[in-house]
Amino acid sequence: MNKESLIQLEKLNKILLSEEEREEMLCFFEKQSENVSGLDAIPTQDVERMVHVMPMTNVIRDDVAIKQFTRDQLQEDAPESYDGYWQVPRLVE
Amino acid sequence: MRYETVIGLEVHVELATESKIFCSCSAKFGAEQNDNVCPACCGMPGMLPVLNKRVVDLGMTAGMMLNCHINRVTTFDKKSYYYPDLPASYQTTQWFAPICVNGTVDIKTSNGEKKVRIKQIHMEEDAGKLVHDDWTDTSLVDFNRTSVPLIEIVSQPDLSGAEEVVAYLERLRDLLRFARVSDCRWEQGSMRCDVNLSVRPEGSNVLGVRTEMKNMNSISAITRAIDYETARHIDAIENGIGKLVQETRRWDDVKGKSYPMRNKETAGDYRYFPDPNVMPVVIDDEWYDRIRKSLPDFPEVKKAHYMEEFGLSEYDADQLTQSRAFCDVFEDAYAECSMAKEAANWLISDCASILNKKQQTFDMLSISGKALGQLIKLVKEDKVSRGNAKRILAVMFEQDIDPEEYAKANGFIVNNDMGALEAIVKEVVASDTKSVTDYKNGKEKALMALFGKCMKQLKGNCNPQVLREMLIKVIDNS
Repeated sequence: MNKESLIQLEKLNKILLSEEEREEMLCFFEKQSENVSGLDAIPTQDVERMVHVMPMTNVIRDDVAIKQFTRDQLQEDAPESYDGYWQVPRLVE
Repeated sequence: MRYETVIGLEVHVELATESKIFCSCSAKFGAEQNDNVCPACCGMPGMLPVLNKRVVDLGMTAGMMLNCHINRVTTFDKKSYYYPDLPASYQTTQWFAPICVNGTVDIKTSNGEKKVRIKQIHMEEDAGKLVHDDWTDTSLVDFNRTSVPLIEIVSQPDLSGAEEVVAYLERLRDLLRFARVSDCRWEQGSMRCDVNLSVRPEGSNVLGVRTEMKNMNSISAITRAIDYETARHIDAIENGIGKLVQETRRWDDVKGKSYPMRNKETAGDYRYFPDPNVMPVVIDDEWYDRIRKSLPDFPEVKKAHYMEEFGLSEYDADQLTQSRAFCDVFEDAYAECSMAKEAANWLISDCASILNKKQQTFDMLSISGKALGQLIKLVKEDKVSRGNAKRILAVMFEQDIDPEEYAKANGFIVNNDMGALEAIVKEVVASDTKSVTDYKNGKEKALMALFGKCMKQLKGNCNPQVLREMLIKVIDNS
């Protein structure tokens, strides 16, 4: 991670860091990178890749629509809502 | 210098399911905002997705209709990006093992026939919708569409120019609607398209700088956008007008121009990784064969069959095969009445007219073909007049009825009592001597006035030809 890729990450996440925060963040990523690099020491060439913890396939359901929640229930804890919508800071491209 | 345009399309199609892809919320279009939502499709922590089997059925169906190889083990992956219409901050999609790969679609244009290669079809969930509210200066989020099932059909860059793109999209729409994979309604967003376009000197095999126009939602907008973007690319290459960079652009159909979009993620930024919450799907032979057997004939195969087997005109066969629903009702009606031309006429003329009035597409025809066949028989056997049969047909669009039972219960059975018919005609003729005189003096319209009065008395329950003959006979004798 370098400053350029950090700025790209800021853009993608729609946040703006100060120069101080960037330095702090780069140090953090550096440490994390070292930690992750430590995994390279473990021999994994004979270990099969595991994506799913349970050895299951075809966890599927029939196509039946069921209404289980009301809008009000779901928006009970919404920080902001308006006229049945969740309300967020304006975002126009 | 002459240039050629190189185009690849990513077509998103909403699947015709009752429920969403990973939860049981309704997937129907047009509900009130946030009426079809639950903690799972709102991306709340701890919710686990459970895959809708029908989505896999329809994904396979689409692949088979487009001559794809079906991956028997198919998996889902997370595509991470941050936007308020994506509550989990990742989209569950297929990256590493999509359900279908390597297909083809045959298209016809003024330049002849062409095979367009399909790179892959993958299943994924849709995002929600944002409404930008000027009054509150905020964005409002509707999650009804979140997790509605989609397939994305990715073509190879085999298309050159708007005519081929239109032919390809229309062929896709016809096949997917025919196989009941989707209703493919551009105006409701159930078919959308991203256009990847570049321009290069004719004969060159090196691709030019590629731009992508996202979320195009009408054929006419796509046509205009391709023409505009092609001209812009050529201008940039030849005259250095404007900057040509690889980027995502937005098409403004009102202004007829494209504009650079937000700082768009590249594939690496999406951090695709296998979704540990959605288990792999293994398609065994039984499942595969069930879908294979359920495929319809292609529309052109049915059309040829209707012309050869049933003797229909090319026009009639073409009209019927515009819609799978029409084909199904036609075949059931024919099985009942053995009158192909009559069945085709009732569908193309009367049923289409009722659907138009209801502002419904042909695919939404839901009457019983058997009942339509029975109705046609009632008319043919002179048991019900055509006028009253039309009334019964209108009722068939609202209720599941037996046409003959309904005709009997509502007084629509033709009265074959010639004595009673003659008495009514004599009464009408006696009551309207002016029309009788006018008719005798050569005014043909006067006969129609008398005919109408008789038919009204008879409540339409009479063979028009029989009534006409009786009317002339009574007038001649009067």
